[in-house]
Amino acid sequence: MEELFEKIAHCVEFGKINLASPYPPDMKGQVGADELTKQAIDAGAEPDDVLKKGLVVGMEKIGIKFRDNKVFVPQVLMSAKAMSTAMEHLKPFFESGAVKRKGVFVIGTVAGDLHDIGKNLVSMMVKGSGFEVVDLGTDVNSQKFIEAVKQHPGCFVGLSALLTTTMVNMEKIVTDIKTAIPGTKVLIGGAPVSEDFKEKIHADFYSRDPQGAVDFLKRSVA
Amino acid sequence: MELQEYRFRFDELEVSIDIIEKFMGYEPGQAPEPMPQLINEVLGIAHELCDIRGGYIIKQETNINREFKTMHINGTEFDVKKIITNQLRKMDNVALFVCTAGPGISNYSKDLMHEGDFIKGYIADVVGSEIVESAMDKIQADLERQMESRGWHITDRYSPGYCGWSVGEQHKLFSFFPKDFCGITLTPSSLMQPIKSVSGVIGIGPEVRRKGYVCNMCDMVNCIYREKKDTKKADRC
Ligand code: B12
Ligand code: SF4
Repeated sequence: MEELFEKIAHCVEFGKINLASPYPPDMKGQVGADELTKQAIDAGAEPDDVLKKGLVVGMEKIGIKFRDNKVFVPQVLMSAKAMSTAMEHLKPFFESGAVKRKGVFVIGTVAGDLHDIGKNLVSMMVKGSGFEVVDLGTDVNSQKFIEAVKQHPGCFVGLSALLTTTMVNMEKIVTDIKTAIPGTKVLIGGAPVSEDFKEKIHADFYSRDPQGAVDFLKRSVA
Repeated sequence: MELQEYRFRFDELEVSIDIIEKFMGYEPGQAPEPMPQLINEVLGIAHELCDIRGGYIIKQETNINREFKTMHINGTEFDVKKIITNQLRKMDNVALFVCTAGPGISNYSKDLMHEGDFIKGYIADVVGSEIVESAMDKIQADLERQMESRGWHITDRYSPGYCGWSVGEQHKLFSFFPKDFCGITLTPSSLMQPIKSVSGVIGIGPEVRRKGYVCNMCDMVNCIYREKKDTKKADRC
């Protein structure tokens, strides 16, 4: 079974979705994360192991490569697609409670900003690390974040912004969330955001790439 | 001076598969399947999704204050900071510009992402960025032709949000255009809608020149394009 988990991880890392997918070219004609995940479940593997020893491992590897500028956005998206396709086979186990998520991550692009590619990438990577992700979309104000945190007690919150003029809205949102639900951990990111800015607005964590957020979340629930 | 407005069809622009591959991080012609196929699919329908418009307004009453690092146009002060005042100091006139690819391509991208088609959604996003840049290249080239015919030259383009010039000054820039010019509006947070839009200024005069951008003028240390960028045509940003 371990060998199968390794193969699943490999497919996710290299973005091999299924048999029909031509990507990556050197795996053309081979089965992908989709078929292998089904095969593992059918063979009686623990769904939790399929997730943690297979899918999550592959996603972590691509996240690190992306952080280190060894791959570009399209490769990450192929991996995310392989992951989400395979996850369909695990859906019933999430619903029954047989597989538990590591936690909940609420994410949104802050009020006044409509950019979403960066936020989507963070969403995919965090989902791929075993968290449930609640994506509130773009132009999200304090109230919407607070409602989501109330619905998911103990969740983490991620804020994204792409312009300096919308980045400043993070300060109010961080303050509002922490006033309404003290103790909530808020992560921030986006092109103009920095570690200094994080300190200034009293957010809990800043990372320039999604993997940093994944590492922080994993450390926080360990 | 008068307002100049342009409209382009997608096929008038130079948005090639090579350019999109490059933006996505690949060497032109080197993106593996299914990328080229998906790029072609998006390029194939892009003409249905775009409303490509842009334009500029030329103002003659300009002044650069090198002490305070400001630019003055018809009495409006722009706090453009050191790099831009340096680049524009010899201008006689200025062209304020805006350009957009229209809302369709971003909406298409968002829909695809929402449906789980991440790659095509991302490609559509990149195509949208390239459309607006390419349209603005055409407008700039036309402005250059007109100016050259009277022996004048133009500078590169400079935008709020670059080289220390605050995005917040978009409101001042937009005050020079008629309301909803080219279908572009500005939110209170200075975001242009449609998303795939650009704005800025171009210096004009007998003494100015296009020098090409150099990324070392830019304070965007985390920029993912910084190293890859060729300085000859560094107007990706
Ligand atoms: C492509 C691009 C454009 C395109 C398309 C814009 C779009 N996004 O659709 C066009 C040409 C239209 C454009 C226009 C403008 N742009 Co522009 N653009 C870019 C560019 C080059 C890439 C953006 C992108 O797609 N990145 C890819 C995604 C995946 O990256 P990302 O969103 O940053 O997300 C990553 C990380 O930031 C992080 N992350 C994001 N969110 C979060 C959240 C958390 C919690 C964590 C942990 C991490 C995280 O993870 C993501 C994956 O790695 C950036 C420069 C850059 N290199 O970032 C400038 C940039 C965003 N633009 C900038 C500016 C200023 C503008 C304009 C205002 C310029 C102008 N006056 O015309 C306009 C504004 C447009 C508008 N609608 O108002 C500035 C913004 C900063 C600022 N000064 O405010 C940037 C940063 C460039 C710079 N040098 O300063 N732009
Ligand atoms: S490519 Fe990046 S570093 Fe270079 S000018 Fe544009 S934003 Fe700045």
